[in-house]
Amino acid sequence: MSAERSGPAGPAGPAGLVEAPILVFRDVHLSFSGVAAIDGVSFEVGPSELFAIIGPNGAGKTSIFNVLSGVYKPQQGGVRFKGVDLIGKRPHKIAELGVARTFQNIELFANLTVVDNLMLGRHHHNTYGVLAGFAWLGRARNRELANRAAVEEIIDFLELEQWRRYPVGLLPYGVQKRVELGRALAMQPSLLLLDEPVAGMNLEETEDMARFILDVRDELGIPIIMVEHDMGLVMDLADRIMVVDFGRPIRTGTPREVADDPDVIRAYLGEEHKTAGTGSAR
Amino acid sequence: MTATAERVTTATLVTRVRDRARSAPDGVAMREKDLGIWQEVTWAEYWDRIQVVGHALLALGVEPGDRVAVHSENRREWLYTDLGTVAVRAMTVGLYPTNPAPEVAYLLSHSGAKVLLAEDQEQVDKVLAVLDQLPDLQKIVYVEPRGIRHRYTDPRLMSWPEFLALGEQHRGAEPDAVTERMAQAGPDDVVTLVYTSGTTGPPKGAMLTATNVEFVVSTLIHGGGFTSPPPNEHDVTLSYLPLCHIAERIFTTWFSAAAGIQVHFAESIETVQINLREVQPTVLFGVPRIWEKVLAGAKIRIASASWLKRSTSRFWLGVADGIGRTLVRTGGRHTAGTRLRYALGWLFCYRSLRDRMGMRKVRYAASGAAPIAPEVLQFFMGIGVPMHEVYGMTENSAVATANRPGRVRLGTVGEPHPGTELRIDEATGEILTRHPGVFAGYWHDQDATARAVDKEGWLHTGDVGEWVDGTHVKITDRMKDIIITAGGKNIAPSEIENALKASPFIKEAVVLGDRRKYLTALIGIELDTVGHWAQARKIAYTTYRDLSEKREVLALVQTTIDEVNERFASVEQIKKFRMLPKELDHEDGELTATQKVKRAELSRMFGDLVESMYR
Repeated sequence: MSAERSGPAGPAGPAGLVEAPILVFRDVHLSFSGVAAIDGVSFEVGPSELFAIIGPNGAGKTSIFNVLSGVYKPQQGGVRFKGVDLIGKRPHKIAELGVARTFQNIELFANLTVVDNLMLGRHHHNTYGVLAGFAWLGRARNRELANRAAVEEIIDFLELEQWRRYPVGLLPYGVQKRVELGRALAMQPSLLLLDEPVAGMNLEETEDMARFILDVRDELGIPIIMVEHDMGLVMDLADRIMVVDFGRPIRTGTPREVADDPDVIRAYLGEEHKTAGTGSAR
Repeated sequence: MTATAERVTTATLVTRVRDRARSAPDGVAMREKDLGIWQEVTWAEYWDRIQVVGHALLALGVEPGDRVAVHSENRREWLYTDLGTVAVRAMTVGLYPTNPAPEVAYLLSHSGAKVLLAEDQEQVDKVLAVLDQLPDLQKIVYVEPRGIRHRYTDPRLMSWPEFLALGEQHRGAEPDAVTERMAQAGPDDVVTLVYTSGTTGPPKGAMLTATNVEFVVSTLIHGGGFTSPPPNEHDVTLSYLPLCHIAERIFTTWFSAAAGIQVHFAESIETVQINLREVQPTVLFGVPRIWEKVLAGAKIRIASASWLKRSTSRFWLGVADGIGRTLVRTGGRHTAGTRLRYALGWLFCYRSLRDRMGMRKVRYAASGAAPIAPEVLQFFMGIGVPMHEVYGMTENSAVATANRPGRVRLGTVGEPHPGTELRIDEATGEILTRHPGVFAGYWHDQDATARAVDKEGWLHTGDVGEWVDGTHVKITDRMKDIIITAGGKNIAPSEIENALKASPFIKEAVVLGDRRKYLTALIGIELDTVGHWAQARKIAYTTYRDLSEKREVLALVQTTIDEVNERFASVEQIKKFRMLPKELDHEDGELTATQKVKRAELSRMFGDLVESMYR
């Protein structure tokens, strides 16, 4: 029981200096027929960090995620994950490297049960061939049993016991979001990308999700990059925050630093509030 | 509680587990679901854990008569700690998992607990918030490390593995320490403090002794006071009600130790229905709220089924109703006619219905801890679940009366157990009991003890009752709940309330009218069923309150009240009602930990609502 985590600032220093970062995003430029979606963004994420990206609608947050997961290929810049260059890699290759993500809109199989959806998250851990799968022999059987056990651990972790056998489409929205997080965890990722994990949730569901996000980081030791609109949540959870606007980074730092930054306040509240806002960036 | 020098030759709960571990070491004592699979605990493992916990408590300096508190859902560690505590002659104090922090502060400081077993971060947070009020508390053992390790630094915290390691270490150094402490146990040892829920005033800690426990074991378990034939190692049960309550403690821990019944722990309170289906218990205890909910659930499922299923189910439930009525007349004994009808119904409906409820194999079901509407019991009897209403309270170790198989009388709580004395005070109508199960008094509250037990040893139950046919006891109500109307008529509100709550749409009904001209009621709806009912009728709603106040819902409640009113005399009829604007909750102080309504609190909180019915 060591108290290595001394405060919300986490392992990173104030200005974004990270020791042995797991992810390096360097000077990335992405444009669609001349319109810049990402315009020179750089950041690093530490090996046990909860890093949040915030910004107004259309600021380029989801584009950053899409570059990270290989959906978009930037025209310029570099993305290195555990020393491996991600640019140009296909999404499933990046997933195999250990980058898992959830989506703004729930992307689950509504007619499959919670267990089946989570089992799908284990798919790339299957190393057996088609024939072995048909025959349910040796390796196939062992792998599937191991997969099922791993899924049960996630059910236990996210407290999904009562819904195991329910089709996902019948579950409350907040629970579906939790299942989606579960599917990402089923991949046993070494980096988790959460795209608006609490969007559309009520207060209770938000609090539950916040607890699960913290537990993923603290109990499973998985670093997280989170895009989120709920400023209260971001301020409470994140170790560091990067604010982007029009594809450009405005400020990267601890929640406190970011909230006090005049440029951030301007981006969120507009020019005339420049002097009014001090602590709150809401 | 003085240390008796004489050695006890009789058995205790702990020696019983020890003896089972010797005679059937590989027999299954309990099962708990771990990662989706039911894992077994054998008697040998159970006994080993009890000893390790006992050693750990000795290592922490627990002396005879010290208190060890448990704040957890039902799980293996609850039982290990309970019996480990008894083994070292300390007292177990159970807390309800729903107890909020201020109540945790009260219970722990009043009992002066030295060690606390807190299940998880939620319960640890509660105790940490009130730690400055708990000078006696020396150690907090937590079972689920999640969210606690790496984050919390209070030196009093200790994880369950650390606790066990401490016990192993102590056992290595002093292997006979627990055995020696056990040998000193005397019949007057207080083994547990059971805090009663207290609808008025703070909870009181009833002291139950080794003698009390032995009386329960001989009367209720070996004597077959509840089940007949008595429970045995082939019986299977699901443990899901709070273990700090006397009823679940008897049905789980004591039934297990004394009769070897196989205990299964529900995964969580939300999965009780699913777990019931998987476990298919043979002995099942429930409080009225559980039975009402199962009944409401069945009705709703049938209502939303396809036309064919709906009509067949309705037909066979009609038949079941007839069977139930006959059984009520015969006291639960089948006739040739009911057997034939039941056999057919079993093929077409009851078998699958009972299977889905998780009651296919139930050979004995009991309802207790609060009054229940007879029609709910009759439903279960009709579909073949042998249902028995039983009566008792913490202060008499839950030994008072029970309906015996074959001698059931609906609307009564049954006959007094053999070996007990029960009389009804002629002046007040109060039920009094006297037997070796009467508790040793309230912890640190001699005044309350003196009020509860008189000089001749009679326990004043606070319940008003009457004899039915000279054999069975019918409970009218709690003495302090009796309503005396402005017209001077005595009315027992619980009978009316239970009739209302038998409706699948009504969860709470509180009848009022003390010193008033007429009766009124505060009604709380069952959100699931009324929500379902509203959806089927395309009534849009947002919140509980919004749904409660819909015109159609008010009409639905009015219909139920009209139906119930027909069964009562004119002065006992409800003239007006209002909807409760929120679901009643333990944390908000409207319910006790056992989900009983605190009337005084409610009348105060919803005073305006009540007054509006008398204007």
